[in-house]
Amino acid sequence: MKSKKIWITLVILIMMLLVPLGKVNAASDGYLQKIKDKGTLVVGTSADYPPYEFTVKQSGKTTYVGLDIEIAKKFAKDLGVKLEIKNMNFDSLLVALETHKVDAVISGMNPTPERQKSVDFSNVYYRGKQYMLINKKDAALYKNIHSFKNKTIGAQAGSLQYDLVKKQMKNNQIKGLAKLNDLVIALESGKVNAVAMEEATAKAFAQNNTSLKVINPEFNVDSSQTGSAMAFPKGATSLVQAANKTIAQIKKKNLINKQYIPLAGKYMTNNSKKNSMWNYWTYFAKGIEHTLIITVVSVFFGFILGVLLALLRLSKSKLGKVIATAYIEFVRGTPLMVQVMFVYFGIGAVIQSLPALLAGIIAVSLNSAAYVAEVIRSGIESIPAGQTEAARSLGMSQTLTYRYVIIPQALKNIWPALGNEFITLIKESSIVSIIGVGDLMYQMQLVQSATYKGVIPIFITMVIYFVMTFGLSKVLGYFEGRMKHA
Amino acid sequence: MPNMIEIKNLEKSFGDNQVLKNITEVVKKGQVICVIGPSGSGKSTFLRCLNVLEKPSAGQIIFEGQELTHISEIELNKLRERMGMVFQSFNLFPNMDVINNVKLAPLKVKKDMEEEATQKAGQLLEQVGLADKAEQFPLSLSGGQQQRVAIARALAMDPEVMLFDEPTSALDPEMVGEVLKVMKDLAESGMTMIVVTHEMGFAKEVADQIWFMDEGYIQEKGAPDEFFANPKTSRAKEFLSKIL
Ligand SMILES: Nc1ncnc2c1ncn2[C@@H]1O[C@H](COP(=O)(O)OP(=O)(O)OP(=O)(O)O)[C@@H](O)[C@H]1O
Ligand SMILES: [Mg+2]
Repeated sequence: MKSKKIWITLVILIMMLLVPLGKVNAASDGYLQKIKDKGTLVVGTSADYPPYEFTVKQSGKTTYVGLDIEIAKKFAKDLGVKLEIKNMNFDSLLVALETHKVDAVISGMNPTPERQKSVDFSNVYYRGKQYMLINKKDAALYKNIHSFKNKTIGAQAGSLQYDLVKKQMKNNQIKGLAKLNDLVIALESGKVNAVAMEEATAKAFAQNNTSLKVINPEFNVDSSQTGSAMAFPKGATSLVQAANKTIAQIKKKNLINKQYIPLAGKYMTNNSKKNSMWNYWTYFAKGIEHTLIITVVSVFFGFILGVLLALLRLSKSKLGKVIATAYIEFVRGTPLMVQVMFVYFGIGAVIQSLPALLAGIIAVSLNSAAYVAEVIRSGIESIPAGQTEAARSLGMSQTLTYRYVIIPQALKNIWPALGNEFITLIKESSIVSIIGVGDLMYQMQLVQSATYKGVIPIFITMVIYFVMTFGLSKVLGYFEGRMKHA
Repeated sequence: MPNMIEIKNLEKSFGDNQVLKNITEVVKKGQVICVIGPSGSGKSTFLRCLNVLEKPSAGQIIFEGQELTHISEIELNKLRERMGMVFQSFNLFPNMDVINNVKLAPLKVKKDMEEEATQKAGQLLEQVGLADKAEQFPLSLSGGQQQRVAIARALAMDPEVMLFDEPTSALDPEMVGEVLKVMKDLAESGMTMIVVTHEMGFAKEVADQIWFMDEGYIQEKGAPDEFFANPKTSRAKEFLSKIL
């Protein structure tokens, strides 16, 4: 009897854990209260989507603007909390929501049934048509979706437009990229023949780039799938209700058409007026700073961890050997990009407050350690066995032998390879931009979307990377020369 | 004279290859033993078993009453301090200058004071005739000079026995003499020495005993005069006829 009781209690407990509390009672799901308690609403967005969200420089600082941002501001104000914007790739937004990196997502996002499976949406706050951006010189060729036989159409990966092209333009190739800017560059350079995008955005691009033109290709759009809504974690009913209240007010006063879009338009023309690169040097400076921080810190920890891994791999301990070898092989056998995302979203799911920069540094350090370990191991193995024998025959222990005889010689041999790893990290660390770390690569994307210029920011970024790596290799060469004389 | 090293039923195999086959010998304090024999007969392996750089497969090494084949790494380190070794390829540490090569083990293993170690290293370099090379790096020295530094380095630990594995085989002929001279002086000072060598002149002049090794056994041993004049085994006869 007693054990039966325990079982029933257990089952009830488990059911209570499984059933989202919000479904039972909207007011008590805790999401709204939590935000009020911490006093900040963290909103995720992908700020390369004017007029919905993009960046401008205001008195030297990068500021997020656009109609979505205005809505987010009003929402935060209605809740009586501060607003914090987190900028990241569109693809990463829903993951960030599920792993509670952000409280809400507002990014011109369509509440598709697929997305509704993993998150909850507010009511639609704005509904635009689905347009296409083409090169002006092709205006005579392309009228609607049927005039693109066997052409390549670009669309933002994971977007509604991507889906529309895929389903309604079956005779066409589709090219999905993460950033609209890259798609527009692809369009200008003829890599794609058109880019499907939302009406307001398409018009914004055309307005700022005279070689482009918008068309309405007449996609067959199910109205339940279009329109933009805010996304919240599944079960956050209290937040959805609060957002719907704000949206109702916005709609009643027609704020979007009357205030938000005109404001965004003003920012956009401002941006394009001063889109000389020189106005954006602070972006690049910030990017260099972050790239260097990530690289230097990662080199430091990567080196320490790498030495430990190398010693473990060369040790007599079987278990140590297996662990070190497995780690090294695994890290070298998976892309850094995946590792960065795993650290940010995976480990970040356990440690909620893990900032993107720290996550980036952890991932790059862990990655670098594996490569450094192999460099060090080969350095140690390149020291002739006679050196160890001579030291041991003098009564030196294994540890003393390593410390005074093997490691100093090995370091001298592997110095060039370690320097190379350092230089590689400067370049490879650009991957962290996908989780929204403000490194050089990320700043480049901001400048692209702020200036509507695709290639020049890329070129400048390339030159900066080169100056950094070339400068570093000269410095390392100098020290290498000095070590040879020692 | 008391026994310094007793070797009892020593065997050593590398996989299927049995290199040492049941060797039982005694080295007395102050003796100079020259081990000779054809290439591949196991001379280096034998020497390396004595300070357990190579772990014997069977048998015992007893050094001043202490058995070496079944002791801990820490005790082994302690014992190796008392047995100096000189290698065919010198094995000086190229990352430090000559005097630091000599001082390293006294400083880090014996924890000698810096001053004391420097002074002693200076004396030893003087003894091997290289006082003026103290600040040079090993790779800038000739082979003969490097080998003399290696001898000084081994002596810096105050060993009770010195093991030499073909110390002159890697040297140009004109440098062999300077190294043998140092070794001869050392022998005359009473050091116990086991020397694997192809220098028959040195063996004749300095050794108390010649051990002739072939195919993993000590086939024959004796005083140098007698051994070189009248080798008893046919293997020794054949070996001597080839090299003399
Ligand atoms: N670490 C090792 N692993 C496997 N086999 C070895 C090892 N060291 C020595 N041997 C083998 O043991 C045998 C004896 O080698 P050893 O070096 O003791 O001969 P040696 O008498 O010193 O010869 P040499 O005069 O050429 O120096 C050789 O067949 C050699 O291949
Ligand atoms: Mg040998």
